[in-house]
Formats: sequence, structure tokens, C-alpha cells
Amino acid sequence: MSTGGPLIVQSDKTLLLEVDHPDAQACRMAIAPFAELERSPEHVHTYRLTPLGLWNARAAGHDAEGVVDSLIKFSRYPVPHALLVDVAETMDRYGRLQLANDPTHGLVLRGLDRIVLVEVAKSKKLAGMLGARIDDETIVVHPSERGRLKQALLKLGWPAEDLAGYVDGEAHEISLAEDGWTLRSYQQEAVDGFWAGGSGVVVLPCGAGKTLVGAAAMATAKATTLILVTNTVAGRQWKRELVARTSLTEEEIGEYSGERKEIRAVTIATYQVLTSRKGGAFTHLDLFGARDWGLVIYDEVHLLPAPIFRFTADLQARRRLGLTATLVREDGREGDVFSLIGPKRYDAPWKDIEAQGWIAPAECVEVRVTLTDAERMAYAVTDSEERYRVAATARTKLPVVRALVNKHAGEQTLVIGGYIDQLHELGEYLDAPIVQGSTTNKERERLFDEFRAGNLRTLVISKVGNFSIDLPEAAVAIQVSGTFGSRQEEAQRLGRVLRPKADGRQAHFYTVVSRDTIDTEYAAHRQRFLAEQGYAYTIVDADDVLGPPLPQVD
Amino acid sequence: MVPWRLALKTMATAFADQLRSLSDDALGALIQLRPDLVVPVPSDISALAVRAQSRGSVARCLDMLDEFTLAVLDAARLSRSEETAATSLAQILALTSGAAEDDDVRVAVGRLRARFLLHGPEDAMHVVGAVDEVTSPYPAGLGRPADYLDPQAAALCADRARLRRTVLAAPAGARAVLDRLAAGPPVGALSSGGTVAEPVRWLIDNHILVPVSEAGRAPRADGELVELPREVGLLLRRESGPLGGLRPFPPVPEGPVRDAKSVDSAGAGQVMEAVRSAEALLEALAAEPAAVLKAGGLGVRDHKRLARTAGLDEAAAALLLEVVHAAGLMGEADVAGTGRGVTTSRATGTADEIFLPTGSYDLWRALSTARRWEALANAWLAMSRQPGLIGQRDDRDRPITVLAPDAERAGAPQARREVLTALADLPPGTAPKPDDVVALLAWQAPRRARGREAAHRDALAGAATLGLTGLGALTSYGRLLHAGDEHDDHDPLGAGPGGERAPGTSDAVRALDGLLPAPVDHVLVQADLSVVVPGPPEPELAAELEVVAELESAGGASVHRVTAASVRRALDVGYAATDLHSLFRRRSRTPVPQALTYLIDDAARKHGGLRAGSAGSYLRSDDEALVAEVLADKRLATLALRRLAPTVLVSPLQLPRLLGALRDAGFAPVAEDSAGAAVLSRPKVRRAASRTPVSVRMAEPAGPPLLAGPRLAGVVEQIRRGDIATRAARRAGSERAANGQSVPGLTSVQAHSQAMAVLQQAVRDKARVWVGYVDTHGATLSRLVRPVSLSAGYLRAEDERTETLHTFALHRVTAAVLED
Repeated sequence: MSTGGPLIVQSDKTLLLEVDHPDAQACRMAIAPFAELERSPEHVHTYRLTPLGLWNARAAGHDAEGVVDSLIKFSRYPVPHALLVDVAETMDRYGRLQLANDPTHGLVLRGLDRIVLVEVAKSKKLAGMLGARIDDETIVVHPSERGRLKQALLKLGWPAEDLAGYVDGEAHEISLAEDGWTLRSYQQEAVDGFWAGGSGVVVLPCGAGKTLVGAAAMATAKATTLILVTNTVAGRQWKRELVARTSLTEEEIGEYSGERKEIRAVTIATYQVLTSRKGGAFTHLDLFGARDWGLVIYDEVHLLPAPIFRFTADLQARRRLGLTATLVREDGREGDVFSLIGPKRYDAPWKDIEAQGWIAPAECVEVRVTLTDAERMAYAVTDSEERYRVAATARTKLPVVRALVNKHAGEQTLVIGGYIDQLHELGEYLDAPIVQGSTTNKERERLFDEFRAGNLRTLVISKVGNFSIDLPEAAVAIQVSGTFGSRQEEAQRLGRVLRPKADGRQAHFYTVVSRDTIDTEYAAHRQRFLAEQGYAYTIVDADDVLGPPLPQVD
Repeated sequence: MVPWRLALKTMATAFADQLRSLSDDALGALIQLRPDLVVPVPSDISALAVRAQSRGSVARCLDMLDEFTLAVLDAARLSRSEETAATSLAQILALTSGAAEDDDVRVAVGRLRARFLLHGPEDAMHVVGAVDEVTSPYPAGLGRPADYLDPQAAALCADRARLRRTVLAAPAGARAVLDRLAAGPPVGALSSGGTVAEPVRWLIDNHILVPVSEAGRAPRADGELVELPREVGLLLRRESGPLGGLRPFPPVPEGPVRDAKSVDSAGAGQVMEAVRSAEALLEALAAEPAAVLKAGGLGVRDHKRLARTAGLDEAAAALLLEVVHAAGLMGEADVAGTGRGVTTSRATGTADEIFLPTGSYDLWRALSTARRWEALANAWLAMSRQPGLIGQRDDRDRPITVLAPDAERAGAPQARREVLTALADLPPGTAPKPDDVVALLAWQAPRRARGREAAHRDALAGAATLGLTGLGALTSYGRLLHAGDEHDDHDPLGAGPGGERAPGTSDAVRALDGLLPAPVDHVLVQADLSVVVPGPPEPELAAELEVVAELESAGGASVHRVTAASVRRALDVGYAATDLHSLFRRRSRTPVPQALTYLIDDAARKHGGLRAGSAGSYLRSDDEALVAEVLADKRLATLALRRLAPTVLVSPLQLPRLLGALRDAGFAPVAEDSAGAAVLSRPKVRRAASRTPVSVRMAEPAGPPLLAGPRLAGVVEQIRRGDIATRAARRAGSERAANGQSVPGLTSVQAHSQAMAVLQQAVRDKARVWVGYVDTHGATLSRLVRPVSLSAGYLRAEDERTETLHTFALHRVTAAVLED
């Protein structure tokens, strides 16, 4: 006999939410504070109960009783007793330790449970982070170790409640210039969620306006801000957007990149320049201390390079905002992002944002081409390291790409690939300009401007186009090759065409793959993230593309 | 000696007389209270009286008594008069006054008298002598009287005022020692590490403590223990009463009272979890069997592996492994018998035996969840194992492993029953703290609970893991199961799995069935190729999914993922692409995503693209016509040639035969080696294996060594004597055999070869023989028959009296003697 709720609690601590159930929305609201959305395909969404998620819920004021109640209330089937006990015990571990500011001793670790404090103080993992013991319940912490200590305590399973607060930083007046536009509801929720939590990561789909979330966060902080971005072009886009949408002027915003080294009230720096070394030493670290920053924003936080993780550990007293569309790190360091920058403060399924009309609806199509016999033979005898390249760069793909471009004649089309030789071939074949790593920033800006203006219909881009290029009118993306099975690359590339179009048109995302090769396997792996976000790929045969024109889908 | 001990002799007869004077009903009541008195049934009342006063029976009876009744018994022991060894209700009440209500004490005295632990009239009751022998020498934790222990101490105790002054003058440390001894037991170690602590020294010097040699033994000045005299103990206890604190009523466990529905719900969730985990463990075991350790049990490494595979912590895995073993779902099998490669020999060298799921497991799997749980729960209730010990260390500091003999505890089923009874006696929904339950059990039967605390805690933990309790309270179906278990106490071993226990469905199963979700027969297929079963799958659906998809997450529902490998697996076991399409169409409540359709089609297209087989030899030629000619040649039909390609034929026969046949048919084949090079060989001349020439061989002795002299005489005499004995026996035997009795000569086992010789001769002579043999029930019989044949391990012989033909297995024939 089931109680008929929308939620099914699994033994591995995943929660399955049946989306079409009448109570699904209420259930989603109830479990969102403590469970993390893992997958959201069309029918059943998967959430996961993690210690981190439960502790964040505790930090946000939810108690174990409430969590257990919502699980029981919405669960369709009896919830195992052991799981409920585990939830309660996990949540109970939070807050036994506190990081606080002591008027005389500075930053201290305080144990509300003396035994726990004794246990963690003995741990080898905390060696060197703790200073003198003041009394039975208090130990001095070196302020520089605040981040690392929190990280280590988290690993020990005794997360500390950080009551030491944040520095306000140098005040600087920033406000949003909402002339003719307003912050979207989910953007406002994201900013509120971030501000209430102090630090954290906001996950929004590409094209859903993450920059504005950053701008709104700055307007809330009203303090000097350091923005870290992936590359110079992205930095300039940030600058353009900030000038347009906030009270900031061009003079107040500095660019700190390989080309320019300006430090102003709002400074935009690239990951690359921060991680560049001279003689084995990082030369630009002073930037972090150059001003009393009140806010640090990490754009595309899923790409955050390892050295920056280390610097970030020292910035625990400053507010930190991470922005990303896909918190899928191929290096599996999602946990570090959460512990150093902050927990996930806001996350919205892509399809929800699409339903609200903030990102363009997209049709994802996988076009399978059959290799010629000669190509198959060449592929068959290739070494395993070279197989993906041979399959992905098959010449047979070229006519298919051209057919797709022609099919969408009149629409702004991006052709995206991972291999330079192939891109050159494509460029010649389609008679379109190429943007690649070696293209100068000036030339890139020129091509992008022409593309935005509509003078240029088709653009062939390499991996540089994966991130942070704002090309609002691009409506068609054709992917011919990529970085093996990278899920986040796939999502980012789809993101290039998700900006809502002026006339509400549908976006198209094509992946051209070689049938019966490793290309197909990687494609399946790449699509997993998007499939889990509810994007159903259609598979078509290349012959259908090359043959008589198909009836229009939309 | 205490004088009243002398009176005991006469007491014994008095005791018997008292029993004799009881009415039948009263005697019956006594037997019901002490059932061990009639096992076996005593011959008369005197025998009954002796048994009722025996140590064993008294100890058994005391084991069943609660803390308060035992305290009252202690009061009776304390209040015995020195002369008559008798006590009275009034004296007992005097001791307990203040600490307990008189009525409660009267009830307790009644209980003791009903059991004849106290006997005699109310004003002159006697304590059964064996009580002193099987209980502590210190009733109520008080020491022996001072004048028995030490004259100086006696002198001190005689002067109440001085005693009080001395005790009050004790330094703080000494006072702490006194308080501890006064609380009982009244004996302590004199020294620790060779030096006598200062406070203890002070107490001995002041004759408040008396050195003794051993608890309950005579005092000795150089004893290593000290004892607190009774008088001093009573003085120190003047606030709490002479017996210390008394608890006439059991301590009621406290705890939140939970809603019965949420208790059942949490329990049912745990039931599903337990059943699923048990299955996961057994599946993991079937996939990779675990070796049986030499000392018995399952190794730590395998235990950890199984726990990890099933997603359990080690304690839960240990419990469930013990339970499935007790339920007969898992057993030991010979490595050889399983015919499979065992990879478990990493740690132990070669394993002789391995643990595997048994045949019952397959039956069990077909049962409903509730029935499966019942089988597990019953096995748990009945198993004499204490899983909580697993992972701890034994006396030799070696870890106790799963199913190891060290975790055997005969009292474990009883401990579990006690715990469940304690829980069942609480108001429904009460979730007591484990400590409270243990305290309650300790009150109910202190003598029995001593040393069982771990077993009780283990029982509570096990009940929670198996879902008998939910949120710490006993569930409704758990209560029913326990009640049913109490009922059929006649099956104390409960060896059979639940399926065999009761043909009908038990109440517990029915109650549980109502709580568990109904099985579902459909799935939800999604674009990311995940397949969600929104509930427990029907067995048929489960079997289908097991083949076509990989399990990703299990619990109330299950999530599977279809992968290229899983589709290939399905194709391998005989599904065709169309079967798979229709399977998903039929089972899925949601449209089948196109990606899945493509995946199946792609996999089916590639499936079988390569073909593999085995052949004895191959034949190849660049000349297709030549190959065709060989294939068409009728003379070569015996080679069973098959064409793989225009230029390749294979044959199941080995190469030499292929070559020979081809050459015979007039072809000119050349053999190739594995690298393709031609193998040229000239025909080998056939030779037998080399032998050693006869001349070199050791000359075999021509026959047995020759005997001579006294040895020969001895042998002859032995033969003659044996012969006489046999004849005598046979003569007697044949007479008896004629009267239908067995032949004695046949009952003793003859040398087998001798019997064979006799039989063989009899077959030749067509003579009649007495054949002695062991029948299938192990009885020795003999029969007079005429052997007909002797072959293939059987003797066929006809019985002329009954005119039937008998067949005897030769290994059962013990002797054969020719009929005279």
C-alpha cells in the first residue's frame, strides 16, 4: 500500500522525484534545501542526500526533524529506518565546532562538544593549523588557515560553523541601472540565496544571464570587486555588460590580463595571468592583496585552475561568488569548489528556465555519417590514441556539415571543432572565417562583431569558443569534433545558441559523428549531462540530411 | 561451624513430608513453577524432594526470579536465627521495612514459598540449603558477622558507640573505601601492586576491616582480601535500610512514544532494505564465492568486499550474512563440486570449501518480500549466534570473523526473546533507550542477565537492522512474529527456513504485506537511457531488467541504465533486437526515447559481426577450384569439411587424419605450423615404450618364504585351534539356524578375501553356503543360499526354501561359510 507521494527514497541516499506527480512541485520545494539535484531528465529527477548538503541545510537553519518529516511526508514507500537515523546523525555533527572571533585571541576554534574538539585536535590532518589551547573548549586558529581548516574539518566529518564573518572590504558605490529591464526572478533568487549564505556557487544554464547575477551581487555588496574570468575576450564582455547594466563607468573597471595590468575599484583578471609563473613563482598573486576586496567573483568556476584553489583558501574572510552552467568537473574536484568557494546556493534545471522563456528552446540532433570503406579501413588499423582523431575528422563529415549549413541558410551558424586541421578544411569548404587559439584578440573581436551584426553568417571556431563568448544571435551550432567525452564542453557548446532569440526562434544543435566508431561512444558520453538535464537527442542519418530537404520541425 | 547447619539433616525429611502433605493441585503448581523437577519423572516424593533441594534445580529456579524477590530471599537468609536456622515473615519484614511496602514483601515471600525455596510455616520458615551453595556467600552484599571473622572486630562491633565513633573518625579516603564495601560486595583486594593503600591500612588497624584469604573463606591475618563485617555494613547502611535500596517494581523504560503508523512505516522501509541487502550479499557471493577459513568462518577480506558490494556497513553485513546462513540460504560447497574457477585463494592459498548461495536461495527469491523477511527474521530469532561479537577480538587477540565458531552463543536466542518480550510488554510505539531495556532485563532476572548485557544490546541492534523495530519501537508485525515465535516453542531450533515452517501465511506476514508497496510491472524510460522502476519490480520484470540493463540505484524503486554492454548481454542470451524493442514498448509507461532505439539497433547490427568457433584442423589454398574439388570429393565426406571462405575449409578432425585422408584420395597437402610455415615430416616408425630387459630385473622370490621349526609348529597349532573353534560354533549355529536363529560364526567379520574365496568355490561346486551380511538398516543377518554367480560387485544366489533369487552387494557380505 503506497501513500502515493511523488518521492522515492533509495538506499544509496538518492531521491527519485516523479515530475508528473501533482505534488511534485511542493515536494521539490521541500527537499531542495537539503538535497542536491543530480539529474533532471524528462520524467524522474534524481536528488542526492550528501553530508555536505545536509550540513548546508543545517547552516541555513533546517533541522534533522524537518528533513526527516519531509522525507516521510512525500515518500511513496516506507523509508528505511537506518537512512533516517543516518540523516539525523549526520546533521547532528554540524556545529559541534565553531570558528569564531575572540576579542582577545582573534580567530578561534570553539568546541561545544569537548570530546569532538579533543578528537579533531589530535588529528594529524590538522597539524600546523591550530595554535595554542586557551581552555578546554577553545583553540587558537591561525587566520591564514581558516579555509584549509574548514576543508580539513569537513573531511574529518566535523564541519565547523563559521561565525567569524566576512570583511566588508573597501566600500564602493555600485547599483544596477535598471532602465527598461529588470532582474529576472530566478536571478534575484540566486543573488538572495548567495547573499544570505555569504559565499557560494550559483549554477545557471548558459545564456541565462549569469553576468547579471554577478552584477547584482556587486550591487548588493557595494564594495570593491575582483572578477576572475577565463580569458581576455570574456573579460571584455564582462566589462561591456557591467558598463551597460550598472552605475559603473568604463574608468572604474580595470583589466588585469596579459596585455594590461590595471587595478581599479572593479578589476577583471584572467585565470591565465594569475597562474602564470616566472622562475617557478607566481608573479601576480599580489593582486589578491592589492586592494581590500569586498567580493571575489569566479566566472566559469568549473574551470578554476588548481593553483587558484590554493589562493582561494587564503581568502576565506572575503565573500566569494562562483558562477557556472555545469558543475561537472572532469577532474572530479567539485568537492573542493564547494568547500573553498562555498556550497551551491542556487541551481535551476535548464528545462525550467527554458519553460520560463529565458533561454531559447533547443533541438539537439546527432547526425550519424557512415564512413567510406577507405575511411573505415584507415580507422580500423589506427592506434588507439589516434582513433578518436581519425574518426572525428573524417572527410565524409564535410558535405554533411555543408548540407546542415545550407538547411539553415539565413541563420547565424557556428561550426565548432576541436582539431585545427579539420577546421581549416571546413573553413575552405564552407568559405567561412576561422577563430582559433592563435587568432589575435583584435581579430577575434572584429569577427565576433561582424557575426553579431549579421554581416557574417557562418563562423568556424575552435575550442576557444567553448566559453564565455556572447554571440546572442547564433541560432545553429554544428559540432564536428571535441575534447573526447567531455560532458561540460558539450553543455557549454549548446550554451552558445541558448540566448533567447529576438523572434523566439528555436535553436539547433547538431553533432556530426562517425557511425560505428569511438566517435559515437564519446558522443553518447558527452550527451549525458544534457540528457540528464532533459535534452532528448534525436538521431538522424546523414543520408536524410544530404537527401531532399526535411520538412521543418518547428 | 555455624550451628544451624547441623539441623539441616533433619530438615531434609521434613521437606519431603511437606511435599507429601501437599494436595495434588499444589504439587502440580510447584511442578509448573519448576518444570525441571520432573525431567525425568522422579520415582517417589522423596526423590522429588531430593531434586527440589539439589543445587542444579535451585539454581535454575533462582535464575527465573526478579531482583526484588532475590532481595527478599537475601533478607530471609540474613534473618535466620543461629539456633534453629529458621526465620519468619515478621523477621523478614523487619529487615525490609522502610525500603519496601510490607504487602510487596509478602507477595515476594509467597513466591519463594510457592517454589519451596522457603518452606515451613510462616513463623518458622527455612531456606533450602542449596540456596547458600549457589548464591553469593554475602547475602544482600553484607559481610559475615564480626564474631565469626575476628575477635577484635567483634569486640569493636559489640560496643555500638565505639564503633560509630571509630567509623566517624575514619579519614576521607578510608570513608570512601567503607562506602564502597558497604554498598556490596563487602570484599576488596587488600593491596594493589604490593603496597597496602594508606586508608585500607588504617581500617585494618582499627579492626573495621578484617583480612581474609578468599571470598567466603575463613579469615586469615595474611589474607590478600579484606572483608567488611556485617555489623559495620549495617551501620553504614542505616539510611538506605539493611538491604540497601530495594526496587519492588521493574524500572519502566522511558522513551518517546511514537505514532504506530510511523513506527510501522520506518520498520517496513527497513524490512525492504534488509531483504534487498541480504539478496545483494548473496548475489555478490554467487558472483565471487568466499573461501571457508581453515578455522571456520568467512575471512575479513571477503566480509569487507561483500559489504562494499552490497553497500552496507560491516556490522550490518555481518549480521545479514549470519542470518542468511542460519536461514539456510547460504552454505559451504566443495570447490571441486562447483566446477568453477575460484579466485578466493589469494589470501588463504587454496581453499577447499567455499561459501555459496544454496538451492533454497532460489526458492526464497521467488517468495514475496514479506515471506522472505519472515524467513530471515525467524532464522535470526532462532540462531545461536551473536553477530555483535564479529570484529571484536577473541581470547587470543585474533579478530572474530563472520560465521566463525567464536561467535557461537547458546544463550543468544533466549536473549533475543527476552528483549522482544520486554519491548512487547511496553505500550505500543514506545521507543525505549537501549540502556533502559538492558536495565529492565537485569531487574527481571538478574542472575540470568548477568553477562548477557552484550547479547541484549546485540538483539536490539539486530531487531533494528532487520526492521522488527522501527524508530526504536516494536512494529505491529514484529509483535505478531514474536507472539507466533512464543507460540511454537516446540521448534526450538527453528532450523527450517520460513517457507517450510508453516504452510499457511502467518499473521506477521499478512500485517507486513499490508505495509509493503505492491510490486509494479512497468518502467519509465528516459532520454539519458535510464530506466526507472517506480517500486519493487515483479519477479518477471526484475529478471528481464537484470539482463538488459545495469542496476544503478536500488531501494524503494530501482534505477537501471541501458548501455551498449547490457544490450549485448541481452543479445547474447537470445533476445533479438525486435524482442528488446517490444520489451521496452510493452513495459514503458513513457515513450521509448529514440536514443534507446538506436542503441539497440546499433548493438544488434554489430552483434555477431565476428564469428568464432573451434575446429580440429583447417585446409586452405589460394586455388579456389582446388578447394571446391576437395569439398565435392565424396571419398572425403568422413572429414566433415565445412567451407568458411572460398579458400578455407575446416574439419573437426585432427590434422594427421586430415592429411592422411587427403593423401589417400590422391591430393598432395602440406601441413602448416601456427606461424604458417610448412611442416615437413617423414613418417615415423612406430615403437612401443622402452622396457627393462628381464635379465636386469630383480628376480622375484619364487614364493612365500619357507617356514620351519617352532614357527611352523605355532602356525599349525593356531590353524587347528581356529578350526576347532569354528566347528564348534558352526555346529551350534546350524542347530540354531535350523530353529530360525542366526549363525554365530557369521556375526563376526571374516576376512573379506576369505569370504570371497568361499563364495567363489561354492559357485563352482554349486554348494550351499551360509552368507552373513549387513542389511540396509545396519542389522547383521544370515541366510542359507546356493550361489549362482559372482560378478560386478554382486552375488546372486538362490534360496531353495523360498525359491527366490537374492542379490547381495559384495561389500555388505561379512562372512560366508560352507554348509556342513
